[in-house]
Amino acid sequence: MKKNLFAILAVLMVASLVLGACTKPETPPADDTVKTFKVGLVTDVGVVDDKNFNQATWEGVLAAQKELNFDAKYIETKDAKDYDANIQLFVDEGFNVIVTVGFALGEATINAAKANPGIAFIGVDQFQGEEVPGVAGLVFEEALSGVLAGVLAANLTESNTVAAVLGTDLVPTVVNYNRGYVGGAKWVNPEINIISTYHPGGMDVAFTDPEWGASTAKQAIEQGADVVFAAAGNTGNGALIETAQHAGLFCIGVDTDQWLTVPEAHKCLISSATKDITLSVVELIKLAYEGKFPSGNYVGGSSLAPFHDFESMITDEIRTKLEEALEAYNAGEIELPEK
Amino acid sequence: MEEHTPSQNNWLKKVWFSVRIPFLAIVLALLVGAIALLASGANPLEAYWQLFKGAFGSLRNFQRVLEKATPLIFAGLAVALGFKAGLFNIGAQGQLLLGALMAGFVGFSLKGLPPYIHIPLALLAGLLTGALFAAIPGLLRAYSGAHEVISTIMLNYVAINLSDYFSEGPWKDTSPGNIVSRLPAIEPSAEIPNIGPVPVGFIVAVLTALLIWFVINRTVFGFEINSVGLNPHASKYAGMRTKLLIVAAMVVSGALAGVGGAVETMGVVGRFQPGFNTGLGFDGITVALLARNNPVAVILSALFLGAMKGGANTMQFYANVPNEIIDIIQGTMLLFVTAEMVIRWVFKLRKQRETEITVTTGWGQR
Repeated sequence: MKKNLFAILAVLMVASLVLGACTKPETPPADDTVKTFKVGLVTDVGVVDDKNFNQATWEGVLAAQKELNFDAKYIETKDAKDYDANIQLFVDEGFNVIVTVGFALGEATINAAKANPGIAFIGVDQFQGEEVPGVAGLVFEEALSGVLAGVLAANLTESNTVAAVLGTDLVPTVVNYNRGYVGGAKWVNPEINIISTYHPGGMDVAFTDPEWGASTAKQAIEQGADVVFAAAGNTGNGALIETAQHAGLFCIGVDTDQWLTVPEAHKCLISSATKDITLSVVELIKLAYEGKFPSGNYVGGSSLAPFHDFESMITDEIRTKLEEALEAYNAGEIELPEK
Repeated sequence: MEEHTPSQNNWLKKVWFSVRIPFLAIVLALLVGAIALLASGANPLEAYWQLFKGAFGSLRNFQRVLEKATPLIFAGLAVALGFKAGLFNIGAQGQLLLGALMAGFVGFSLKGLPPYIHIPLALLAGLLTGALFAAIPGLLRAYSGAHEVISTIMLNYVAINLSDYFSEGPWKDTSPGNIVSRLPAIEPSAEIPNIGPVPVGFIVAVLTALLIWFVINRTVFGFEINSVGLNPHASKYAGMRTKLLIVAAMVVSGALAGVGGAVETMGVVGRFQPGFNTGLGFDGITVALLARNNPVAVILSALFLGAMKGGANTMQFYANVPNEIIDIIQGTMLLFVTAEMVIRWVFKLRKQRETEITVTTGWGQR
C-alpha cells in the first residue's frame, strides 16, 4: 500500500464518520401496534415527489396510513423494464395493497393481479378494458371538472371570449376536459365565443411543448380571449405563464392544484380543474382494509382547486352557479360536444 | 491490491496490468458511492449487501442481471469496435433504438412463421437497420469529413423521432383499451426463449463478443481497423483504403447495436415501446471504456453494470436508499477510468507499455 492511497482512505473515512454522525436513518422505528396490513406504491418512471400523479398518490397512501395505521412503502421506478420486478418486491414481502401509478404500468399490474389473487391492486389512471378480479382502475371524470372550469370562465369573462389550450386529441382525458369546458361555458352563456386549440403534434411532443402553449395562448388573447384554460401538461404550463404576462386576464390549470406547481402563473391562476387522486386513493385503501375492494373501473372525484389569492373575487353568485352546474351535470342536463 | 507487487508469473502480471485501472476505478467509485450512501443516512455495507443480493440472491434476480447485461454487451461491443477504428460512435443509442423498432415490426407483422425462421429474420431486420443507420455517419465522416461525434448525436434524435412516429402512427398497437404509443406485442414465434435462467440472447451476445475478439485480433480486417485507429495517415500510406475502412467499421458497429436492440425487443420487452430502451447505447460507452475496448472484457464489464442495475431496486427497497446512488457509482467509475491520471496518482502506478490504449485519435483528426 502506498502513501497516497492511505491519505485518500483516511480522508474518506473521516468524511464518512462526519457525514454518518450528522445524518439520521430515514425509516421510523417499527411500531408494534401496527396491524399486519401493508400498502406499497410503485411509481411510474420518475420520482415520488414529482408534484404530479406519483406525489398525489403517495399523499393518498400517507393520508390513509394516518387513519388506519399500517405499514407503507414506495419504490421509485428507474427503468420501464423494471415494472414487474418492482411490483414483485411488494408481492414477495406480503403486501396487502399495491398501488401502481400511471397507464404505462397497466399491463404489469394486471399480470401481477392474475398471478397473485388476494392482493388488492390500485391502478391510478389505468382504464380497465375488462374487469380483472383484484384490480381497481382509478379513473376520473375529467368532463366534470371541465364543466366547472367552463362555468367559472364564462362567469369571469368580460370580452365574452374564452380559450382552451389543449394537449393532443389522441388522449381521451384531454378531449373530455375540453368537452366539459365547452359544455359548461355554453351552459352559462350559449352565445359565448370559445377558442379551443389542440396541439397538432403526436404523443411525444404534445405535453412537453411550452413554447407552443405560450404562442397559442397569445394568439387567443390577441383574438380577445380573457380567460385561458390550459389542459396540456408542460405545454399548458407555457400557456399559463404567457397569460400571466398580460394584465387583468385569468387562467385555469389542470390535474393538480397548479397554484402550487406553477408559481409563475400566480397573477392569473384563479383555479385548476383537478382530479382528486389523493382522496380517491384513500377511499380505495379503506375499501381494501374493510375487505370490500372493488374490481373494474373506480371513478374518482373531480373538482376545482382552491381559489387562493382570488378568493375575494369569487362572488356568491359564482359559487351558487358552480353548485348548480354540479347538480345539472349529475342530472345529465349539460350538453357536451363531441370533441 | 497486493497483487501488483512484481510477480514471478509473467502471465498473471500481464493480466493485472491490463485490468488494474478499471479495477481500481471500480474500487474508488464504490468508496465514493459509500460516502454518498452515508450522506443519505444509510449504512453502505447494508446497501451494498442488498445490492448484491438483488443481483445474485435468487435465480430470478440472476436472470434479470443477464437480461440487463445482454444489450449492454452489444452496445459495448459497438462502441469498442468504433474506438478501435478511432471513431467515437455516440450513435449506438439511435442504432439500437431503430434495431429494436424494426425487430418489433418484423416480430408482430409476420404471422404463421416457425420460430427458426421468424427469430433470425427479426434479428436480421435489427442488424440491417442498425448497420444502415450507422452507414450515414460513416459515409459523412469518410467522404465529407463531418465528425461522427456530431453527426451521430444528431442522428440519435432522428432515431427517437422516427421510432415515436411509427409507434404513434402506422404501426401503433390498436388493441382495445390501449392509449399509449407502442407497437403490438410480437408473435410468440419471434420471442427469444430462456434456457433455465439464461436468456438465449445472452448466449448470442457472448458468442458475438468472442467473434468480434477474433475479428479484431486474428483477421486482416481487424488489423486494418486497428491501424486506421492508431494512425490513419500511415495506414493510407501503407495502401489501406482508409475511407472504406471507416465506413465498414461504422457499419459493423451499427449492426452490433442494432442486434442489441432486436434482442431486447424479442427477449425482454416483447414489443417495441418508446421509453423501454432509454440509455442503453450510452451505457455502452461506459461498458467499452471500462473494458478498455477489449471485446472479451466487454462481457465482464456489461455483467458488472447489469448486476448494479438489476440489484438497484432491491437495494432501494430493503436498504431504503435512493436508486440514483447507482448513477453516482457509474458516473464516478467512468470518470476514474477516463481520467486514469487520478488512479495513477492515488495508487502510485507506473506507466506500462502494454496498457497503453489509444481511445480515439482525437477531435477533428481524419
